[in-house]
Amino acid sequence: MEQILSIQQISKSYGPVQALKGVSFDVPEGSVYGILGPNGSGKTTLLATILDVLLADSGTYSWFGGMPHDAARRKIGALLETPNFYHYLSAIDNLEITAAIRQNGSTDRLKVLEQVGLLERKDSKFQTYSLGMKQRLAIGAALLGNPKVLVLDEPTNGLDPNGIAEIRQLIRDLSKQGITIIIASHLLDEIEKVCTHVAILKRGNLLLQGPVNEVLVSEDQIEVISKDIETLRAALQAMPGIKRITNGDRTLLLACEPSVDTYAINEYCISKGIVLSHLLLRKKSLETKFMELTNDPAKN
Amino acid sequence: MLSLLSIEWLKIKRYRTFWILSAMFIVLLFLCNWLYSTGIMKLGGPANQILNSNYTFPNVWDNVTYFTKLFSGLLAIIITIITTNEYQFRTNRQNVIDGWKREQFFQAKWLMVLCMSITVTLYSFLLGMFFGLYNGSPVSGATEHMVKLGYVFILTMNYFGFALTLSFLIKRSGMTIISFLLYAYVIEGIAYQVLKWKVNQHAGDFLPMESAANLITFPVMDMARKMMNNEPLASSTLVGMSVGWTIVYYIFGRIRLLKSDW
Repeated sequence: MEQILSIQQISKSYGPVQALKGVSFDVPEGSVYGILGPNGSGKTTLLATILDVLLADSGTYSWFGGMPHDAARRKIGALLETPNFYHYLSAIDNLEITAAIRQNGSTDRLKVLEQVGLLERKDSKFQTYSLGMKQRLAIGAALLGNPKVLVLDEPTNGLDPNGIAEIRQLIRDLSKQGITIIIASHLLDEIEKVCTHVAILKRGNLLLQGPVNEVLVSEDQIEVISKDIETLRAALQAMPGIKRITNGDRTLLLACEPSVDTYAINEYCISKGIVLSHLLLRKKSLETKFMELTNDPAKN
Repeated sequence: MLSLLSIEWLKIKRYRTFWILSAMFIVLLFLCNWLYSTGIMKLGGPANQILNSNYTFPNVWDNVTYFTKLFSGLLAIIITIITTNEYQFRTNRQNVIDGWKREQFFQAKWLMVLCMSITVTLYSFLLGMFFGLYNGSPVSGATEHMVKLGYVFILTMNYFGFALTLSFLIKRSGMTIISFLLYAYVIEGIAYQVLKWKVNQHAGDFLPMESAANLITFPVMDMARKMMNNEPLASSTLVGMSVGWTIVYYIFGRIRLLKSDW
């Protein structure tokens, strides 16, 4: 299966600020590839570089195994940073220009407007649109002409919860059709729900990348509370199979071997004469992993 | 090439500002020529009219092209607005993202400059023919001095290309328009005098906009210059300079656009 996108050692600085430091990864066909990172990590810079909006200082990238870049971009629907349209033109006229440049999709315009919920306002000038509507139009434009790949930079920016859910569903539907989707976001919740792969950036460095279920080692945590936290802590420290005990908010968080489950913890505590008032299994989310990685490089 | 032009047309055909400024140009040019030809308007003092009020062939070409030169700044401003809009809306980025090469964006804008130059030249031609025939002169005399129409084309390519290149470099509409006007009316004037003083009489004629401006002069001014021993350069030299500058704008703008971040 050919790589939709292959990035090799891309570096980019803006004067003294180095935005990207030798970033490399491949995006497999049909994946939903998330690019995560805190603000300023280089996500938009990276997407702008692979779309020829910015010029990298060094490194290369190739689309579809080496297609000329402009031809490749005509098969890609992209939303980069902000919705960019002609303010004095209506939605449908703006899409006409997009379709003309793409050499494709002119007959899709009404369909796409309906897909993003803008059909009623198709003749209103872009400058009259609200932020959410502008964002939807940008997503609609990206969908023109049935692209094989979508590149979305913070697609849910400016959307209300309904809109966010619609985008999530749209991404799922498109992925089922075999379309490759690259998403840059810091809405980890959303990424976790739809992505098959993830790359994590921080300050221009690629920290981790790979399939979501590899990068996101499901290290579950068990949360316990008892009347006497210190006694509880001492007893648990002696228990085999407990990897790590951290302090939560008036709780203890336990990272355990797979063999240790909540039943085992409960049994053990009873056997030591400790009564638990709270016992909860928490699935470690991408968010916690992400915060760990991006806040504490030592733990990496 | 046609596809680039048709996309540029899609961008401006519904842009009210473009139509208003174009209409202003069309009307003003006609009006000025009309008022001047009927003697209502005059340039210069009563005894020494700058332009010959004689709107018959072949003098009509001198007059019409002179007014065209005067108002071409208006159209240069349209070019600036259209181009800086792209930067303001960030549609320059979006055009590339959607599938244009950077080069195509650049060429599309120059094609528009070319089209506008051709249109203006055609309009001058029509005006000239109209006034010439209206004032009853025989068509046989029409072709003399008609080379001035060719000069209009070269001048508009120069001015518009200059405005376009400034727009690519400065990117903001206010600053670009101010810079263009400042250069055209102030800076180049000063540079002209300085060069004339420091180098020689003709050095100033080599400045970008001067080289084109000097192509379209009129008999009275030519005589005045002759009397001051400052006869203008041969038109072939001026044409060469003007075209040369236009090529410089093209190459400079192209290198800048291809090699910088958008």
